[in-house]
Amino acid sequence: MGAHYCAICNQTTFCGKKKHIFGKNHQSRLRVVLLKFTEKVKEGRRTLKKPQVEKFDCTRHRQTFWCYCCGLEVDRDVTDDNMTVMHGGLLEHMATREHRNNTHRFWWENKADPKLRERVLITEEETERFKAEVAKVLECFVEKEDEYIKQQAEVIRAQEKRRQEVFQSLLEPDDEWELPNGPSSTDPSAELSVSSKFQPQASDQQVGKRFDPMIEAPRTLVGESLTFIGYQDSSSSGNVHTGAVPPWFQDDTLEGTSGSAAQPEIGPHLQEFLKQKEQAKLRKLPPNRVGANFDHSSHTDANWLPSFGRVWNSGRRWQSRHQFRQEEGQKNKKKRKREHGPDGSKKRNAEQLSDSDI
Amino acid sequence: MSFFLPKLTSKKAIDEVIKGVAEKVLVLRFGRDEDSVCLQLDEILSKTAHDLSNMASIYIVDVDKAPIYTRYFDISYIPSTVFFFNGQHMKVDYGSPDHTKFVGSFKTKQDFKDVIEVIYRGAMRGKMIVQSPIDPQNVPKYDLLYHGI
Repeated sequence: MGAHYCAICNQTTFCGKKKHIFGKNHQSRLRVVLLKFTEKVKEGRRTLKKPQVEKFDCTRHRQTFWCYCCGLEVDRDVTDDNMTVMHGGLLEHMATREHRNNTHRFWWENKADPKLRERVLITEEETERFKAEVAKVLECFVEKEDEYIKQQAEVIRAQEKRRQEVFQSLLEPDDEWELPNGPSSTDPSAELSVSSKFQPQASDQQVGKRFDPMIEAPRTLVGESLTFIGYQDSSSSGNVHTGAVPPWFQDDTLEGTSGSAAQPEIGPHLQEFLKQKEQAKLRKLPPNRVGANFDHSSHTDANWLPSFGRVWNSGRRWQSRHQFRQEEGQKNKKKRKREHGPDGSKKRNAEQLSDSDI
Repeated sequence: MSFFLPKLTSKKAIDEVIKGVAEKVLVLRFGRDEDSVCLQLDEILSKTAHDLSNMASIYIVDVDKAPIYTRYFDISYIPSTVFFFNGQHMKVDYGSPDHTKFVGSFKTKQDFKDVIEVIYRGAMRGKMIVQSPIDPQNVPKYDLLYHGI
């Protein structure tokens, strides 16, 4: 008793092959499998008498199917990337000798119903017939394709012509408005052309109506989709090809007075930068230090004196300055008096006083 | 020795210096260049000036050149050294009767450095009068005459 792996049930049996194959499980699975398989083949047989040839569609064609007998994946259709013969691959495979042998073996091994066996096979005669039919159908198909292409070309040419006419009519607005209508002209334009008197308004309308079916703008060149904005004359100033000075290096003539007033350099000057450095240092110092709020920019007059705490003063320092000024004022008065006063003793006293002062 | 220290010869110059020196102790020595004690003091000042350059700026003032300041600061003895910080006068208690200025010369360079450092630290903390670190023995003695008005 060896271990036998049954591909249909996807199981390994240890009891023996025969026992498994005649079992209920296997047979039911087999029936399902055969049903599916024969369905596919049936579809293919239908095209035996009338082969279908279609334009290649990569989403639907190129499908594969699994042939249970051979244990292979086979292409369902035959294609050469332009056209496909539906189910061609299937039929071809079924006709091969190997497939026939494999089918027989499969039927024998799995003990399937022999009546169904023929459905899966395709005889050689059938194949020959099929090939002939296919050739014929292919020819027809090719013819049809050609015709279709010709029709499309016709349509495109007509459209092109119409567009050309409109363009021409724009270039020469003085021409009569009886434009030679194309093969597929619109009705309104035909009416207008009948009553063809030179009317600017009507012509505008006509041109407008003709524009509606058009997609492109009126100023487009024939054959191109870019907008033309006019010939750039740079013979006076020169352009990039002649090596002229680029505009961003030229002084702007619009700037005028503002440009001449200052030549502003971008960014701070060196001085300002140094100042910034100093200020950064200051910020690190303690804020409650003496003279932190000293205003360096305030201007003082000639007789400014610093705030000095005098020896015998107990009050504010400002007081000392005030007092000093008072004393100075008195002293000056005394000096003047001295000069005027004739008294000698007073003079000496005053001198002694002033000496001790110093 | 005082050749190396900058000199101020007018009130305007002194004003500018007082207003101009920022975040450093300003040392103004009032005296005469020829005076012997002044010479001693000047030597100490000039030799320590470089080391203290980040903390202090030292200037020499001749008492005869700026009489108004001589009167204002009440300078009776020379040399007298007055200290400022950010335009504000700093008082130092040396153990002497006059706190507004240091009269006479320092004994050693280290004394002067110590004083400067103490003033700087005090000023940074917002104190306008500080205690001198110098040994009172080394502080020159003088008599202060009180002259009332």
